Amino acid sequence: MNMYLKLCAAAFAGTFMLSGAAFAADPMCGLHNGTPATGEPIVIGAITGQTGPDDFSAATKSANAYFDCVNANGGINGRPVKYEIGDDQWNPEVAAQLAAKLVKDEGAVAMAGSASFVECSANADLYKAEGIVSIAGVGVPRECFSASNYAATNAGPRVSTIAAAEYAGNVLGAKSFVCIGPNIPNVGPWACDGVKIWAESKGFTSESILVDPASLDAASVVLQAAGYAPDAIVLSLPKGLMLPVLTAAEEQGMNETIKFVSAASGYDLTVPATLGAAWDGKFWVNMEFNALGSDGADNQNWLAVMDAFAPADAPRDTFSQAGYLAARIVTEAMLTIDPAKLSREAVTTALGEVKAFKSDIFCADWYYGAGAPRQNANHATRMSVAQGGEWKAVSECAPSGDAELADILAFEAANGIGK
Amino acid sequence: MNFLSFIVSGLGIGAVYALASVGLVLLYRTTGVLNFAFGAAGAVGAFVAFEVDALGFGLLLGCVLGILASTVVSSLYGRFIAPVLAYRDTVTRSIGTLGYAMVLLGCIGMIWGELPRRIQFPTDKMFITLFEVRLTYTRLAALVLAVLVVVVLSGVISRTRLGLNMRALANNRDHSAMLGVPVLKVEFFAWLIIGIFAGMCGILMANLVGLKATALTFLVVPAIAAAIMSGMESLPRTAAAGMFLGVAEAVLSAFPAIAPYRSAAPFLIALAAVALMPFLSFAPKRSPNRT
Repeated sequence: MNMYLKLCAAAFAGTFMLSGAAFAADPMCGLHNGTPATGEPIVIGAITGQTGPDDFSAATKSANAYFDCVNANGGINGRPVKYEIGDDQWNPEVAAQLAAKLVKDEGAVAMAGSASFVECSANADLYKAEGIVSIAGVGVPRECFSASNYAATNAGPRVSTIAAAEYAGNVLGAKSFVCIGPNIPNVGPWACDGVKIWAESKGFTSESILVDPASLDAASVVLQAAGYAPDAIVLSLPKGLMLPVLTAAEEQGMNETIKFVSAASGYDLTVPATLGAAWDGKFWVNMEFNALGSDGADNQNWLAVMDAFAPADAPRDTFSQAGYLAARIVTEAMLTIDPAKLSREAVTTALGEVKAFKSDIFCADWYYGAGAPRQNANHATRMSVAQGGEWKAVSECAPSGDAELADILAFEAANGIGK
Repeated sequence: MNFLSFIVSGLGIGAVYALASVGLVLLYRTTGVLNFAFGAAGAVGAFVAFEVDALGFGLLLGCVLGILASTVVSSLYGRFIAPVLAYRDTVTRSIGTLGYAMVLLGCIGMIWGELPRRIQFPTDKMFITLFEVRLTYTRLAALVLAVLVVVVLSGVISRTRLGLNMRALANNRDHSAMLGVPVLKVEFFAWLIIGIFAGMCGILMANLVGLKATALTFLVVPAIAAAIMSGMESLPRTAAAGMFLGVAEAVLSAFPAIAPYRSAAPFLIALAAVALMPFLSFAPKRSPNRT
């Protein structure tokens, strides 16, 4: 049973306007009235890859904390959220079974905070056919950004990788690039192709190296990259693969001669200290969200929700930010609906009305593009650099130069979004 | 950049493959078990070394305790689980170690999680330059260690009572027991030695490729390929095969069309070697069947 907060009743605010300090002491969730919800539960589903090659459950843990906070504060106009999380074990078949159970058997009205490597390809068609929307925490493969009913809060590896390359080109003066990505279809090739297309559009050059995730020999990868004599090496690797590459590069002294930039997968608080002083001011990473320690009001509210409603050992990382945002988006959409008429169809319609969701964790207003063939609302990001064992923000929000976003930008222009 | 630079870069990993494969062959020859838990036992040692160093007790003590931890983990299996399976067929005995590897991997995940870590040696900063590539003293040390281990171990097997007993066990367990060979004791020593090997390999790999439990656990894959290439027999030939596979994997990086798939190289080369072995005059002779 989660903590029950006895707070003074307060009117629900659609946007957060209070100071960060106020949020830290008093998490703001849903109706924020301090009254526990007791009505008929509303089922919200989520699918996460918890057991398998990596643990993505930080997103569902923060979403769960947010929904607990909502339930302790009036719920969805009196009705509590029943948040059901399934572990797909990184297995598409399991992901499909879980989705069928949640959507068809449990009657989930929406999915929120999912973070899975396999579920997008497995379930995107089901979500569309069943008229349910998934506001996911984190999407990784291309399929997560190619479906009408699947909207991730993060920018995705392609946008993030290109943003890192753009920083290297525009700010660090690089003109030739090597992109290193995992040899996983619709992940590494997708991201590195984006860098190549962007580089060529600017008159630069870019080569791609795709790494077998099972390969243990990072030294040869960096030698292969150095063979192209690039100004910058762009990493689009999970952090477990990224670290050996950086270690091998340091061994060869490349940190002194080549600029190393990375997609947001490198933005982990432990990375700068793990790399050590040799990389101070020499390794830049993209951030899909605001800095984890940002004193922005909503970022502080996320931390306050985690402190009050999540286990002490639940991660406070970017996945956690993403899950929190997804839960907030779905909650605020549901609060606009008459609780007696709350159904999957009504929630899908309400999410379609989310045109300018505000949070300082995002660079720009977030939206769900109802009727759009695909979703990628988060496409403006920031950069930070390793310095003294931690990340130091070095840029303001910048829009992505990914040519593949043309349809997204056209949708925004046609619907007056982002103006 | 030329092929020579890739050969140099592959020497470090090749040395670790050599060490690992020699350990595997030694154990197989003595006990008939193909030890799939080798990498996981090494990972335990590497994480212990990292933790001891992180707690401020120093890297040297960390490495000693890390190797000790791998040895304990391996010896426990050799003393308490392996004897229970001793009279089962080779496949069953080997699959037992696979189960043990999964248990160790799960324990590491529970204790240390998946955060990126690395073990750094002072020798990482010292290097010689060969063919435009820096060869660190750590990689050189791995090479020297591999050669040294093969020489010492070959000596132990051919010139000591323990080695004689190991060779006897390799031929026939029951006959050896009837002739007075202390079977359990000899097998335990084989597990103990492979534990030391696993600890050394785990710590070296944690330095060369990073401290990641799954990566270290699957170190056993190319090591098995090297062992297969040598016919699970000669230790020097096994070491040479391990070194060759490490270098071959590195050299394939120079071919962009193949490079993304180069981790398959050890097994493709091993398969080719096994297929061609009957036609090669210097091929290892078939070992007598164990009973």
